[in-house]
Amino acid sequence: MSLLPFLAVAIVGAAVATLLRDRRRLGTLAGFAAVLVALAAASSVRAETPLAIGGGVLGGSDHLRIVLALCLAAGFLVLVVARLATWQPSAPGALLGGATGIGLALGLAGTPAALLLTAAATVVASALALGSPAAPSRVRALARELRGATTSVVVGLVAAGIMPETAPSSGSGPALAEPAAAALVLLGMGLVLAHRFGAIPLHARVSRLSDAAPSGALPILAAWLPAAWGLVILGWAAAALGPSSASLGLERGIIVTLALLTLLLGTLAALIQDEVEHVVAYTIVADAGVALLALAALDPAARDAARAWLLVFATTRTAMIGWTIAFRAAFGTGRLRDTSGWLRRAPALGVALAVILVAVVGWPGLLAWDARVAILQSASSGPALLLAWAGSLGTGVAICRVLAVGAGRPSAIVAGAVSELPRLPARIVTPAATNPGPAGLPPGGARARARSRPSPAPGNLGSARDRLRGFAAAAGRDARPSLELNRVPLRAFVAILLGGLALLTAVGAFGIDAAARAPGPVLPSAAPLVGG
Amino acid sequence: MTPLLVAASALVALGAAVATGTRDPRMASLGLAGLLVAAPFVADPLPAPLPLAFGGVAAILAGFLVFIAARRTPEGAAPALGLRATLAAAAAGYAAGIGATAVALPRLGPDAALAAGFAVVAVAVVPIAVTRDLFRLASALIALTAAGILVLTALAGTPEPVTAMASGLTVVALAAAAAVVGGSALAVSSTPGPDDVRDRRATGAGSAIGGRR
Repeated sequence: MSLLPFLAVAIVGAAVATLLRDRRRLGTLAGFAAVLVALAAASSVRAETPLAIGGGVLGGSDHLRIVLALCLAAGFLVLVVARLATWQPSAPGALLGGATGIGLALGLAGTPAALLLTAAATVVASALALGSPAAPSRVRALARELRGATTSVVVGLVAAGIMPETAPSSGSGPALAEPAAAALVLLGMGLVLAHRFGAIPLHARVSRLSDAAPSGALPILAAWLPAAWGLVILGWAAAALGPSSASLGLERGIIVTLALLTLLLGTLAALIQDEVEHVVAYTIVADAGVALLALAALDPAARDAARAWLLVFATTRTAMIGWTIAFRAAFGTGRLRDTSGWLRRAPALGVALAVILVAVVGWPGLLAWDARVAILQSASSGPALLLAWAGSLGTGVAICRVLAVGAGRPSAIVAGAVSELPRLPARIVTPAATNPGPAGLPPGGARARARSRPSPAPGNLGSARDRLRGFAAAAGRDARPSLELNRVPLRAFVAILLGGLALLTAVGAFGIDAAARAPGPVLPSAAPLVGG
Repeated sequence: MTPLLVAASALVALGAAVATGTRDPRMASLGLAGLLVAAPFVADPLPAPLPLAFGGVAAILAGFLVFIAARRTPEGAAPALGLRATLAAAAAGYAAGIGATAVALPRLGPDAALAAGFAVVAVAVVPIAVTRDLFRLASALIALTAAGILVLTALAGTPEPVTAMASGLTVVALAAAAAVVGGSALAVSSTPGPDDVRDRRATGAGSAIGGRR
């Protein structure tokens, strides 16, 4: 039952945020409030007895709680960064719409329903993000998303129809499938996973999406929804195709080859991109190779590792997207050739990117590292494992390149950019400013004199209540100018917060490892929850 | 195959052909609604009354939303194939589906579901590949989703009620996307669809804006 409040809050929030999106201030406040309320509701999702719905079950789990909470928390921080840079009215609704679909898809038992609802989530989030304002590039991107989601779900439905997942609780032995059918099903699901993540040669979707979609909505479209597709497909594959894995050597080899090509070529593409958004997009493409390797493994251990790794993937990519928003807003461009030496002008952004780098790469013993290596070892060995390991570090290499560009000689654009140092409005209100000056007027210049309120009577001057009122009035008057003056340091601060969240995910905070390994709630006659 | 299965599957194939092949957008949305209403009946045993009712409501809602999108479609936005060719493609797909039942895959559902699913796929593929406007694309995608459910029914038997409900939600989401975005796309971009075929033509974009509203 704990999932239902989240679904209700998220649906209402998405509707409110979408309806109010044309009202600049009210829409922003409503969108932010809706995301925060949904985040609180998502944090209360618990593993419990599932709710029977229409012959299926809907229930929460620890893994689902972490997925939703991280999606909304990281998405909220990106919304804040984006709002500090520009106004993106459709992003909160898209985030909430996508999160609702993810909650429904991963909370339902049964692969067909989960696939359908993941597709519905993709459709809803894409329509909300790209539908208004409907520029031609956005309509084209929306059409691509609709096509991709629908064809993916149809292929998935056919595959799940041929090879339904087996219920571990049924007590039946492993079901060996017709080899030809199993091979077709594995290749079909590999195609779906490759398309949803943007694996090479299906990588154009991610790059074009990063061009067309509002940056605030990019995390849900390019990171969290593909992760949800991955969770559904990998949960199904290990159960449905695992028993037949011995007879699928050729097909698994094809998928491993595709994964290696994606890891290496995606890294290469990320290294030659000039726009930071495209660098992030191609790191997503590169990591599609890890997801494909998790599929090729057909192993429950690899599935559990993938369920942990997908969280790290989505959170780190969300943090990188937030960082690119702050970077572009700080320098007015995202081109690396024009922003050499950016680290000297924006050291806080450098700290944020360095934290993200640590979260992406990790070290032995860290969840991010161990989960990734477990996936690679499950699907490959020998030289292929070495190639996969090297390719899996590609995202880190791409980030190092961006940092290296930042360490160069500052360009003219960088030299002219606003510093990250916090600034205060011209009139600084202090307690002394509320006291009358020698001539009976407050100090601080003509503007301050004009805006100053009447001074309290000398007898009440020292009372704490008046001082508090003075501070409150000053804070109220100066909040907006201070915000306008300090957008650059605020964006950098939120980017550091995003990096911290990514690092927490990478180290396995919030009980990610245990949640990824824990079985989901199971009804006696039902399949396990695909989302955990 | 029982007469009900034959009739329902034929209605599905006919509805899919009309939805994707007719020039009149209103007839197309009506055909789509017919396809979606009839599709749950191509199952043996029939779904429970509640999922059937849910599917019917979702079908009517989706048809209405597509109808809204259709009203914004400009005059002359023709389908990729004509109605006759689309009907022929549906018939061919139906026959191919019947033939495909000879494949020795373990199936738990009726042959008619596989035939209807193939028929719908046959008429939906072309509009998805070469569509000119969002209305046609959404109609074809909705038909393709229905085809996926039909093939699932043929392979795994009557879907669980929760699968039917999820299918209804997906179809409504697609239709809503077409209804909401189609009008904005027309107004802003002067092209009704994703491919800008119209923009490359000598007729120009002016006719794209002047659709019925």
